[in-house]
Amino acid sequence: MSLVANPFVLYLGIALGAIGVVVAMPRRGLSPQVIGALVAAAGLGLALLSMGIKAGENAPSLYFYVFALIALGASLRVITHPRPVYAALYFILTILASAGLYLILAAEFLAFALIIIYAGAILITYLFVIMLATESPSAEEPEAQGAYDRYSREPIASAVAGFALLAAIVGLIATGLGTAPPERRPMDTSSLIERMPRKVERSLVEAGLPANIRVERVLDDMTAQVAFPRGYEGDALIFPRPVEAGQTVNVPLPEGFTIDNIELVGWQLVGGHPLGLELAGIILLMALLGAVVLSRKQIQIDDDRKIEAAATMRGGAA
Amino acid sequence: MTELLPMLTTGATLAQIGDVFMHEVTLFHYLFVSAAMFALGVIGFLSRRNIIIMFLCTEMMFQGAGLAMIAFGRYHMNLTGDVFVIFILTIAAAESALALALVVLLYRRRETLDASAWAELRG
Repeated sequence: MSLVANPFVLYLGIALGAIGVVVAMPRRGLSPQVIGALVAAAGLGLALLSMGIKAGENAPSLYFYVFALIALGASLRVITHPRPVYAALYFILTILASAGLYLILAAEFLAFALIIIYAGAILITYLFVIMLATESPSAEEPEAQGAYDRYSREPIASAVAGFALLAAIVGLIATGLGTAPPERRPMDTSSLIERMPRKVERSLVEAGLPANIRVERVLDDMTAQVAFPRGYEGDALIFPRPVEAGQTVNVPLPEGFTIDNIELVGWQLVGGHPLGLELAGIILLMALLGAVVLSRKQIQIDDDRKIEAAATMRGGAA
Repeated sequence: MTELLPMLTTGATLAQIGDVFMHEVTLFHYLFVSAAMFALGVIGFLSRRNIIIMFLCTEMMFQGAGLAMIAFGRYHMNLTGDVFVIFILTIAAAESALALALVVLLYRRRETLDASAWAELRG
């Protein structure tokens, strides 16, 4: 089963995208970025159309198209804009649109983590370095820029290489994915709820049970075994039945009790990949030390100064 | 997929929308976008001459890979893709710290950001 109506329409769209990128690339002479962007957008539209016809009612929501268009358009501007600062700002736009796509895919935690870490931290560092490492424009030529920013290197060859890669990946997925649909079932969160008695306790207290209750055990994702050390008069809607002091009874969980996306990700991260978490910490520490060592200023000291410094140190120790 | 968004806006989580399966065609849309982002990153890395923009393009390739992982995670109804994107973010942060330190170092040596100023490293 193929996932596209006609693969040649898809390939035609990809080829149009390649032509648009080549046209929009900064190079000697004219580089009509608007025309290039329009051609690339037409190619993207053609490719999406060839996928959308086959999709029918399974097509993604309108928001997908909006965010995808913003993300890819901003990506195109990142690689075609002659000014590095603007390229970095367009990359932030790409990040924001990707975060929107993550939201549609129900990965809320990562959507906001992406905005905070990428757009907030990494890209700001990029902007700082761009401003540190760029010659300030002189007064008589404020538009002066290095030739390395104004002209790109081999735009046609690199566009052909990149879009051949894209066509290979997309073609392989379009024809190969449908052959073996995996067996899927809804995510089972009941075992996770059983491991979070304190969260159940909190939601029960919020639903009107006395504050000193204690959840002994969560039986499944519907009921919990709750101990009442002081007794209970049965005045909450969720459990309208009096309980004597010291008794343990089964209480239904409040309506709408679920585990949030961030809790699921947290369990998966800490419970499923503890070694990866430790290694990530080590990698971050190494990167920190490496950055400090690399960017420190190297000072050349001749031999006389070294002897002098050693003498003063020896004198200070004695 | 059309019924997914109203659920999201009312605060439903992955646990609740777990019954709404993602169709292969929908997955393919996301994979196309991620592959296109990766390809644009490759093109930028090959054709731009500014070292900083080249590193920015590697970050764009990371983005494409991350989007594919999230989409596959949603399609298969598990969160390993999410966790891998967390690791990608970590690696991207470490990589950008080192890369930008290197850029500052290189700029101090040659007073230019042109990658071809270091062409003799080709050997």
